[in-house]
Amino acid sequence: MSHRRLLAALAIGAGILVAVPQSAIAHGLVGREDLPIPKWLFGWGSSVVLIASFVGLAVLWPKPRLENAGERRTLSVPRILDPICAAIGVAIFALLVYAGFAGSQTATSNITPTFTFAVFWVGVAAASMVFGDIFKAFNPWRAVARVVAAIASAGGRRKLPAPMPYPVALGRWPAAAGILAFVWIELVYSGRTDPSNLAVLMLAYAAVQFVGMSLYGIESWNRYGDAFGVYFGLYARISPLRWERGALYRRPPLSGLTKLDPVPGTVALLCVMIGTTSFDGFSGGAAWGEIAPRMTDSLRELGFAQATALEIAFTIGLIAVVALIAGLFRLGITGMRSGSGAAEPVDALAARFAHTLVPVALAYVVAHYFSLLAYQGQAMAYLVSDPLGEGANIFGTATSTIDYSWVSATAIWYVQVAALVIGHVAGLILAHDRALVSFKDGQTATRSQYWMLAVMIAFTTLGLWLLSAANA
Amino acid sequence: MTSLPLAHAGHWLVNLLYLVPLVLIVAMLAVSSMRDRRAAAAEAAGSAAAPDRADESSA
Repeated sequence: MSHRRLLAALAIGAGILVAVPQSAIAHGLVGREDLPIPKWLFGWGSSVVLIASFVGLAVLWPKPRLENAGERRTLSVPRILDPICAAIGVAIFALLVYAGFAGSQTATSNITPTFTFAVFWVGVAAASMVFGDIFKAFNPWRAVARVVAAIASAGGRRKLPAPMPYPVALGRWPAAAGILAFVWIELVYSGRTDPSNLAVLMLAYAAVQFVGMSLYGIESWNRYGDAFGVYFGLYARISPLRWERGALYRRPPLSGLTKLDPVPGTVALLCVMIGTTSFDGFSGGAAWGEIAPRMTDSLRELGFAQATALEIAFTIGLIAVVALIAGLFRLGITGMRSGSGAAEPVDALAARFAHTLVPVALAYVVAHYFSLLAYQGQAMAYLVSDPLGEGANIFGTATSTIDYSWVSATAIWYVQVAALVIGHVAGLILAHDRALVSFKDGQTATRSQYWMLAVMIAFTTLGLWLLSAANA
Repeated sequence: MTSLPLAHAGHWLVNLLYLVPLVLIVAMLAVSSMRDRRAAAAEAAGSAAAPDRADESSA
């Protein structure tokens, strides 16, 4: 089948799929969220959007636009903001650790769990996509390390030894391990809701960061080793804004991702980011509800206690889903390699196209955690007034409650679908743009992306299936 | 007692519906790849036969 014929077939297929949901609407199937069509039809519709986007890119995007896109200095930022943001970051970190130890040990009454899992993990990720790398300015570990380095340099008789060069082979592997560990705590660890446990883990994480920064330098470690610095930094590359040394730069959205250096561990980190979020959805569904008890029973028969058996079962599930995501991406890259006739090894090609997974990862985060942020995020109103959960009312908001009616289940579902579709279309755009500079001509570039389209459809439908299973 | 998977067929069928677009696109890509390979093989066979004919005519 020729290139043009396959494109035409894709367009016709998309048209047919568009026509099918129209007939289904006539059946008036109504879901729990009062949806006009069954949820699986949203999967079909999303696939149509992806196929139409793919055809549109092939026809209307003949030259790379994001690769080597320029940026413009928009405004100067007062230097004083840097230490102010750093001080705020350190203060929040100190408050969370203190509240974890000294406050109520009921998760919903203490500010530490809600801030960590809703505001920090989800809110900062979404804010990074819009405003750029704001976490870097507030990063408490970086701030403390910079102050210590400045004091040591100014007051010490001897000059501080230069940090070791960051090992190329280490790449973003420490960040991948850090994110995997964080999500393991969030989804698997039985003591995750205990604020004092969280405080201990926060201090342990800070200690690891100080060791990393002292060994390899503050900026190098933050760029590759600090799990949260890397995590939020990746999302910040989607943003049209970039902050650097007292200035704000403007650039086309997504173009920051084309500058991502594909060091070892980058693909692994992105597969961890998508896989762990996928497992969060999967673990709330009926399929896992059937698998997990069987695994737990088998582990108990081996002599493990119930809590340990549950943790082991969830750990196996978590790793299996991450491996599934990695396998899907590798399949797509293998297909891309054979479709383009590229001589490059699969690993190198995977690293070259790793940045296409960043908007997919963010789409998964928004889709899976939007409701958490929308509902549990409101708890911050009373938690800031009573962070320890001991009856204080500092700002007069301690009596406020969570309003579960401000956003309906239907609205949440539409946000989830929109996030998944937009994220995967963004992934397709990035892949197409990269293919145009990687392969000999536009036709080969489009041909190479057929399998990438299949991967994006797989991720989209997987995401929707997980969400529908979790909400069922 | 373990229930037969058939008892949950409706549930699984709805889940399988999510896979339809992916199955369609993968099938199309597989057919396309197969045809491309056949065309390339036919082209290679044709170009291998062409020099032989040229040799025959020069002789």
